[in-house]
Amino acid sequence: MTVIGERVPRADGQAKVSGEAVYGVDHEEPGMIWGALLRSPVSSGTITRLDTAPALAMPGVHAVITAADAPDAYAGWVLRDQRLFASDRVRYEGQPIAAVAAETLAQARAAAAAIVLDVEALPAVVDLEQAMTPDSPLVHPDWESYVPAAGPDFPRHGNVAAECIADPPGVDEAFARAYRVITDEFVAQRQYQAYIEPKSAVGIFRGGRYTVHTAHQFPFNVRDRVAQFLDVRPSAVRVVGHTIGGGFGAKLDAGLEPYAALLSRAAGGLPVKLVNTRTEDLLTCPSREGAITRIRSAVAADGTILARELEVIADNGACSGEMPWLAAIALHCARGVYQGGPTRVTARLVYTNTAPTGAFRGVNGTYLYHAVERHMDHIAAELTLDRRDYRLRLLFGDGEELLNGQVLHEAGILRQGFDALEALAPWADLEAGRRPYRGIGIGAAWWLTNPGPGSAVVSLREDGTAAVVTAANDNGSGAVSIGVTQIVAERLGIPPEDVFVTLPDTDIAGYDGGSQGSRTTRAVGKAALIAADEVVEKIKAVAAGLLEAAPDDLEVAEGSVRVKGAPGTRVPIAMVASTALNTVGPLQGTGSFVTPFPDFNPSCASGLLFPSFPTPTYHVHIAEVEVDPVTGTVRVLRYLVAQEVGRVISPDGTYGQVSGAVAQGIGYALHESLRIGEDGRYRERTLESYRLPLAVDIPRVEFVALEHPDPDGPYGAKGVAEGPVLLPAAVIANAVCDAIGRPLNSIPITPEEVLAAIQS
Amino acid sequence: MELHAVDSLDAALDVLATRGERCQVLAGGTDVMVQLARGEITPAALLHVERIEALRGIEVDGPITLGALVTHRELAKGVLGDGFRSVAESAATVGGRQTQVVGTIGGNVCNASPAADTVPALLVHDATVTLRSSAGSRTVPLSAFLVGRRATTRAPDELLTAIGMPATGEGSGDVYLKVGRRSAMEVAIVGLAMRLRFDEAGTVTEARVALASVGPRPQRATGAEAALVGGPLEPDRVDAAASAVLDGVEPVDDLRATAAYRRRVVPGLLRRAAGICAQRAGR
Repeated sequence: MTVIGERVPRADGQAKVSGEAVYGVDHEEPGMIWGALLRSPVSSGTITRLDTAPALAMPGVHAVITAADAPDAYAGWVLRDQRLFASDRVRYEGQPIAAVAAETLAQARAAAAAIVLDVEALPAVVDLEQAMTPDSPLVHPDWESYVPAAGPDFPRHGNVAAECIADPPGVDEAFARAYRVITDEFVAQRQYQAYIEPKSAVGIFRGGRYTVHTAHQFPFNVRDRVAQFLDVRPSAVRVVGHTIGGGFGAKLDAGLEPYAALLSRAAGGLPVKLVNTRTEDLLTCPSREGAITRIRSAVAADGTILARELEVIADNGACSGEMPWLAAIALHCARGVYQGGPTRVTARLVYTNTAPTGAFRGVNGTYLYHAVERHMDHIAAELTLDRRDYRLRLLFGDGEELLNGQVLHEAGILRQGFDALEALAPWADLEAGRRPYRGIGIGAAWWLTNPGPGSAVVSLREDGTAAVVTAANDNGSGAVSIGVTQIVAERLGIPPEDVFVTLPDTDIAGYDGGSQGSRTTRAVGKAALIAADEVVEKIKAVAAGLLEAAPDDLEVAEGSVRVKGAPGTRVPIAMVASTALNTVGPLQGTGSFVTPFPDFNPSCASGLLFPSFPTPTYHVHIAEVEVDPVTGTVRVLRYLVAQEVGRVISPDGTYGQVSGAVAQGIGYALHESLRIGEDGRYRERTLESYRLPLAVDIPRVEFVALEHPDPDGPYGAKGVAEGPVLLPAAVIANAVCDAIGRPLNSIPITPEEVLAAIQS
Repeated sequence: MELHAVDSLDAALDVLATRGERCQVLAGGTDVMVQLARGEITPAALLHVERIEALRGIEVDGPITLGALVTHRELAKGVLGDGFRSVAESAATVGGRQTQVVGTIGGNVCNASPAADTVPALLVHDATVTLRSSAGSRTVPLSAFLVGRRATTRAPDELLTAIGMPATGEGSGDVYLKVGRRSAMEVAIVGLAMRLRFDEAGTVTEARVALASVGPRPQRATGAEAALVGGPLEPDRVDAAASAVLDGVEPVDDLRATAAYRRRVVPGLLRRAAGICAQRAGR
């Protein structure tokens, strides 16, 4: 009996549905008081007056802190360009300037509002192109003094926070002899992660150490960031994880945690809780970056891509977070999944006086694939080629060598993806079903599984159940509550409901690279499998004595240890665990795992901080849409996904992630508007104006899982959850343009643009 | 803040007679609670009228009378019958199910939002509102009751108790069309209600068109109405109405959409609405 690939209820499902689950935002500590932040009302300016005395005189106030009370430290995930509080200059609306701790939340907010703050506004750097001009004001006049968090410095200058450039030979020559040069420019807006649970943190300064309670995707990263801001060593910070109400990348870097920690210290060690209002959360969330993507291809008469130039200008916001590391992704996606000649790639990350951007499911890839796949349609249209045939002709195959020298040994899976969707929805039938204002779009992608390190300890309990101690976190995906749980259950031969996994705690569990990039089921599942392997070996050694058999003749299954070929000769593993207490000691195993980066050519580009894509997966999507010619609104009628997953551990978990990613992608493509005004302030500031798609806007996704088990993954698993968000904007845009016969090159596609195009 | 929870009309009018100036009437609370939370209103007292049974009635024989506490959900279910489909359709688009089951028609009218969904539908049915105070009662056309963004002619001591609409005659069809960025839970970018009445020969004898979210208050498009009346619903007639529908209207630029988009979308909506009305009228 196996549980791999079976439908198993998720361990946290009942508690979440019934309301029993205690989320980070619900967490309370004895003696806890409340905090509030005073944030900058403008996006750029100089603080001319900051008087906290009125706040200190307010009822219930325990402490008020500003930059003057914080260590003189710079922090940052990749580049240390952030201060805890603005001291003289503010760089984005919502930037913390002071923090208050008081008896009640209302008192804390009232006190924060009582702080006297004068800011002399300065011109805001907002426009990405202007930010790069020599006469633009600098968001960070001191940029040269900043240092990377680790490793050597990387290419950056002025308002350019990071730069990755690949300039292989032969590009200009190919353009000179091209049959046609096809040029496009695409603009993508920001996207807010819009998780249900706003950010929160409870900080406690006790015994000379900081403890932070938070619902977070990456507790060890919080530990490191708090330590940087507060200028202590990482082990002086303990981060305790809690049930998380969604993150999608926005809870990978520290948010309120360092403020809660320092407030507690200022309040004499009382626990202090901070919770974002929805507007604070939206305004300061590291949203998906806006970007301009320019793409130019030299093509032969038959559509062969002789050479390409791709330029990306991405909005870093006012400080860097994870973003410099991600700039190189443009190199990995510049050709999409299609063969082409030499490709010049220029990716720049630009500082602006706006909220810092950061990780969001499918980092950088959503708009890059949108650009590449829209461009493929453009080339096909110019050369009157069938869009699907054209893609198939240039599609990557096994052994494809990429621009960075990485070799994709199994890229032939892409063709299986096209074939799988062809079986579900033949392209010719879709074409035949076209009528006015109805269109189809197709696109394909490859993506990585995040390689970050993970670890687990598996203990066999005396009642035959197992505990898994790990700092991995289930960000809602089911990667822990289904994935890791099922993997350990399978290996130990016990039911999944007999496997208990801890919440993360950086004092208790080993390092974990966070719930990001679809890594948890694969990396932590693998670490837990290695740990379970060790437990199984120990079980067999103890059971060998009880069964008077050689360990190699034993197998562990269905809650027992039994002699192979003689299933009647068995002993329950509960008895083995109890026996072990007094013979070899408690039965437990440990496992650690990290995926190496695939080989690449280090001289292919400058600024190659993210050098290659480990554990590739392959994706093909089709969308069918209908445009309302009166309103310009778009309805997605059908959505199809074929995706390489390695091996399905949980069918429900896999489908849920694909479906959820498509929903998020449809929101990005059609509904979610997060505009920045000329003053650097967001225009959409609540969930009333920031329009998330609803269930009624999302069709049931038709999904085909392609399974090519990964020999290094647990039971063959690869990453699942991130990849399917890459293509909805691309294929929906292609479908809308097909429907109306005109190009639309912005994300999101708005009814305004659609109607204007129809009526033009 | 004082809270007055009453269960009779007289008690409510008593409170309004003495405290009306600084009192906010609260029914389903779907707008009031949000406005309170945002600090947009700061009343000294709340008058909770939701438990006044006398304001819950629906009379559908002959002229329609709706108690002020009739919920959007009740209307969305079509309790008024086929002659009032625009009212049902508009009520079905107010927020989500949770707001529809508590939000009331009286509240939606008194809130006087420029984007109020039910108001254009009520306007095309020539709705009147009845206001009561301890001193007496008056009934006024809805179009005269709404005077601007969040502004009505309700006096501080008055309570809106009922909404009336004449019965629709034979050969009538009506519709409410709403434009939003997503398929539900939207604040209208534009809302358009229409009611057409045809005679046996197919001549349009009566036309009503009303728009929401294009100006400070929902309003009738009388130019379009005039263009529609007097002959069969032929393309030229509809074109003329589409050209006239924005006469005297200055669509707004706001967070939800530009004025330019509203200008583009309204004529098309009118054409679509005319077709639906004709179909529903059986013409």
